[in-house]
Amino acid sequence: MQNAKDTFYITLRNRLTAVNPARSMTLRSVSRPGILVADAEAPMPQPLLDVFSITWTGLAADLQLPAILAQMTCEIRYATAGTQANAGLDRGRALEEMDSEVFHLLYPYSAQKMNYTQNPAAAMETMVFWSEPEFGPIVTLRDRLSRTAKVTVFAFQEAGEQ
Amino acid sequence: MADLSTQNPCGVARRVAAALLRAGGGTTACLQMPPLQGDSSIAGQIGLDAPGFLSLPLAPVVFRKARVAMQDGQLPKYELLVSAQAVESAVTQQKLSSAQSLFTMASGVVVAGKLFLIEAISASASQGEPYLYRLLIQEACGEWPV
Repeated sequence: MQNAKDTFYITLRNRLTAVNPARSMTLRSVSRPGILVADAEAPMPQPLLDVFSITWTGLAADLQLPAILAQMTCEIRYATAGTQANAGLDRGRALEEMDSEVFHLLYPYSAQKMNYTQNPAAAMETMVFWSEPEFGPIVTLRDRLSRTAKVTVFAFQEAGEQ
Repeated sequence: MADLSTQNPCGVARRVAAALLRAGGGTTACLQMPPLQGDSSIAGQIGLDAPGFLSLPLAPVVFRKARVAMQDGQLPKYELLVSAQAVESAVTQQKLSSAQSLFTMASGVVVAGKLFLIEAISASASQGEPYLYRLLIQEACGEWPV
């Protein structure tokens, strides 16, 4: 399942560089696309603004198939306070832009599963695929707007995979 | 109406704060900072590579319990009072723009060999200059020695 999670993140990260190259961040001294895996970074008391944070929550497995089909719930969380130039009054527009980017990041809804523990990464035999996003309501905290989009990610467990 | 009286900051509040922290059982805390050369590889972003955090000492600081845990499973919270002189020195050393950047970049703080997560930061100022930083921190769940 970890390979599927890694593939999903790297796919979205690579797509983000094409969809909006300006959405970047500096984290742990590295300038990189503005998307991160929450459980692969240090805990943060406040979410980073204007970046996407991937959190893995639910897990289910279909054992009735020839190979185990794992269903993982992924929450894509994002928040913004608008831009300094507009004194934050464009935060609604900024959140809408991120909503739109989520659509573009997720489509097409599949990717070749890769094993990133090897260098170079090796293609595996199956695909990772996922559902359309299910957007939650906007949450307002002072001048910050945030939203969570839920996606169900499916992947077959291949032989020898942990 | 603007206050036009002359009040040149002379750093006395900073020196008093540092002296009080030393006298009040001052110790050393270490911020866990990212390495100067970050890991830009894929492995560094998916939790495969060790982050190679650097230890940035801050002294004098005073470490104290902020409140008693009231529920089972709730970790106690602590306060770390940090001298603004130490913070300014660290900001200069790291070539950062502000103390806020310093604390934002830190992934945690180590006190007496235990890792704590920074939850909130506030500063006390005199004549427009901070003289003390107060960090609200919580014990990390990981029990590995640092």
